[in-house]
Amino acid sequence: MSVRPFDERYAAALADSDVRAGLTAFQRGWRDNRDQAIASLEQQEGRSFDELRAELAAIKDGVIADWSTYLDRFEANATAAGAEVTRVSTPGEANAHITSLIQAAGASLVVKGKSMVSEEIGLNEHLEANGITPVETDLGEWILQLAHEAPSHLVMPAIHKRKERIAALFERVLDREFPPDDIDRMVKAARTELRDRFLSSGVGLSGANALVAEGGSVMLVCNEGNNRMSVALPPVHVVTAGIEKLVPTYADAMKQVRLLGRSATAQPITVYTNFVTGPRPGQRQHIVLIDNGRTAMAEDPDVAAALRCIRCGACANVCPPYGVVGGHAFGHVYTGAIGLVNTAFHHGMEAAAGPQSLCVSCGACAEVCPVDIPLPVQILEVRRKAVESDTSVPAGRATGLAIEVFRHRKLFGAGMRVAGVLSAPWRRDTVTSFPSVLTSRGSLRTATSWRTPPAIPPRPARDTLKPGRLEEPPRLAEQPLAGRRVQLFLQCLSDRLAPDIPVATAKLLRAAGADVRVPHDQHCCGLPAYDAGEHHVARDLVRQTMDTLSDVDDVVTPASSCLAMLGHDAPHLLRSDVDEVERAQELAGRTYDLVGYLTKGPGRLPAGSLDDGDRTPVTVHRFCQASNTLERDDAIERLLTDVAGAPVVPLPEAAECCGFGGSTSVRHPEVAAGILDRKLGCVDETGSSILITDNPGCILHLRGGAHASGRQIRVVHLAEYLAGRVAGAAERASRR
Amino acid sequence: MSQQRADGQHRCGAAVDGSSLVERFRAGVVAAASNYHQLADWPAVADHAVAHGDAVAIAPSLAAFEPALIGLLEQAGARVVVPDGADPAAAVAEVPVAIVRGELAIAETGSVLVAEHTLGDRVVTMLCRRLIQVVAAEQLVSRLEDAASWLEDRGGQPGFASLMTGPSRTADIERSLTIGVQGPDHVDVVVLSSIGAHTPIGGPSS
Repeated sequence: MSVRPFDERYAAALADSDVRAGLTAFQRGWRDNRDQAIASLEQQEGRSFDELRAELAAIKDGVIADWSTYLDRFEANATAAGAEVTRVSTPGEANAHITSLIQAAGASLVVKGKSMVSEEIGLNEHLEANGITPVETDLGEWILQLAHEAPSHLVMPAIHKRKERIAALFERVLDREFPPDDIDRMVKAARTELRDRFLSSGVGLSGANALVAEGGSVMLVCNEGNNRMSVALPPVHVVTAGIEKLVPTYADAMKQVRLLGRSATAQPITVYTNFVTGPRPGQRQHIVLIDNGRTAMAEDPDVAAALRCIRCGACANVCPPYGVVGGHAFGHVYTGAIGLVNTAFHHGMEAAAGPQSLCVSCGACAEVCPVDIPLPVQILEVRRKAVESDTSVPAGRATGLAIEVFRHRKLFGAGMRVAGVLSAPWRRDTVTSFPSVLTSRGSLRTATSWRTPPAIPPRPARDTLKPGRLEEPPRLAEQPLAGRRVQLFLQCLSDRLAPDIPVATAKLLRAAGADVRVPHDQHCCGLPAYDAGEHHVARDLVRQTMDTLSDVDDVVTPASSCLAMLGHDAPHLLRSDVDEVERAQELAGRTYDLVGYLTKGPGRLPAGSLDDGDRTPVTVHRFCQASNTLERDDAIERLLTDVAGAPVVPLPEAAECCGFGGSTSVRHPEVAAGILDRKLGCVDETGSSILITDNPGCILHLRGGAHASGRQIRVVHLAEYLAGRVAGAAERASRR
Repeated sequence: MSQQRADGQHRCGAAVDGSSLVERFRAGVVAAASNYHQLADWPAVADHAVAHGDAVAIAPSLAAFEPALIGLLEQAGARVVVPDGADPAAAVAEVPVAIVRGELAIAETGSVLVAEHTLGDRVVTMLCRRLIQVVAAEQLVSRLEDAASWLEDRGGQPGFASLMTGPSRTADIERSLTIGVQGPDHVDVVVLSSIGAHTPIGGPSS
């Protein structure tokens, strides 16, 4: 099925309210089940998920490193077992060859097991154009074939369709009654409708979940039984597989089995795991091995690890924007995070460019990937290539212009001051509430209806924090930071839009005894430019930041996104220069976000030291990158409970992105609004009116969303919350 | 995290993880929504099969392995079909119950490894509504790696080896789990106290 342009797919996904409702429920349920399945695997194996996936990743990497040897070995063994193996480069060659095999068999009807590679090469369209009728036999694929739609998920192809739509489709096509609540009847219809096809088809087509080099076996997994029937019963079996599907041994295949089922559907193993070695007596077997960009991927170190992919779909199942728009928009033929990477190689950069800015860079995909593909970094690399290759949409160039202004600290600062003066009449506490006459229509409505813009304060934090301007805060009874020189990295966004955050951070650190300094030349860690694919700007900003932050013990920032940038992304960005990488690592080694500084760094505060007696319940949003990239656990919750004495109500989906990440909230506000709505809905579930988190971008975004939706939720940075308790705690301590 | 570790080398019924192989296997079978039965001998299997239908298909490889089974089933009152003719699918089309023999039973997952090389062997596991999978107690192994060793031992000979774990199922419509799609909707896993002294583990069945 040919894929429509991205803008059309995106608009259609937003217009279909079923997509979001169904996917949100699916993602929640999947995550719980998958986490349980992985936990029990860890217990069974006595090894961590990270160890197990590193092992499988090494197996797959080892194949790519010695690719031709394994391909030859597989071909020799499969041939010895009676298969005919053909290697092809392009989809055109694959389609022509498969068509000729079917024609040679004299078949006009073929049954198909679920195969993503057949979607990749557009096999069905090609067969139909040649007078051959392909029948999909996987229930989800069959539904989509009847509906003339493409899969929206690697494993659950029809996950975007509600049962009411499927029932209506069946009534129309099969001409009998299907009550929407009788799913069993719909499932049984697939059995009765397809049974004869399996038995009368001249050719069965399948993909492969793995190709076992040592035995020449094709591994195929399925739950319904359709896949094995497609390959086992017809007199001709044609396998189409990407050449990255190789594993050396059966034992290696079993390691894949252990992680595949659990990562796909939270099953320890699928109902059927078949090892097909050659044809059965009276059958012919053809195996078509296709490259279609895979060799090029292997040669590109930025994306080579994506060839490890075992098509489990886990990266989509945790992806917040996927949860809003589904796979037809988030991806191309391949959906989810992996689709944002491999599409560029299988279908071209133009096909890959559209969905790029849907990614919020939350890092959740990398956490659950069973072969440890560094998807967030790879997506940013493909985005850079898209920006550089000029296939980017016009909005990309507008972002580029904004980044160009932003990179100049003084120009940006002057602009923000002017904006602060102009917007002053509508400044309301932390937001700018424009009159409805301005925001009731047009682009301003799109931009503000779901998220009230932040207030632009008259004075940036850097001015307030100039020496002598701030009165000395009360000191804590115990001061773990006494004698330490701490440089405060303000973070560009909070400096100008939420100065209370860095100011509160400075107060808190001083209360704990630190000598806090605020270098005036500091600007930005480079993250916004990196997210936008403007890597040269990002590199300049990282270098400027390294120049600024020298000559002190510790660097502390209230923004953990900056730490993720300096610690993880900067060394990657600067990788062509060893000295600069070393410099970045040196800086990262003494840079902390506030949470890390107070829990794992020199600033560990004694239990109860910030307890002012207030017992109002709070809830905590865990900044997604801190959880996924910096591997932070429940550190904020523990700080609040143990050090501040505050009761914490657990937030459902606490570590899910709030929708601020990447450039999504600018480029695709509808998606960011959907993610934000899900997050605020979770806050509603806690009943708490105080939401605490520690990344300034999230805070501005959440404040705007709470205001626009009329919620009475106070969104505060951890620093603001803790600094607000210093005086009370100091007084309480003195009374004891 | 538990320090217990399943040992891939166990090929007998020795206790691992504080529970015996057979207990772990049974837990896996039940979790996969199959029915677990421990029976004494083939006559008991025949009685069990006949209780579920008046016609029973047996895989041709099983008929060759255990020729007496045909007579046992007939004695119990069943019409017996061995689909080894020209049109095996047609032969089993209306047969409600099928019996196959497993090569291995894998405790880790509750799976039965079935070798089904010929079309006759394949149609019984695919087309009949109730599938009875019979393994001997001594065919119980611990880990998926044991199944890998079995495959390895066959040295790339043509074959179709399937790890079967429960009845066929789908969750393709709104993630609603529905049992019984294209394959059997009832699976009985039978562990025989002994399948006979001549049973070679990992031996050919097809």
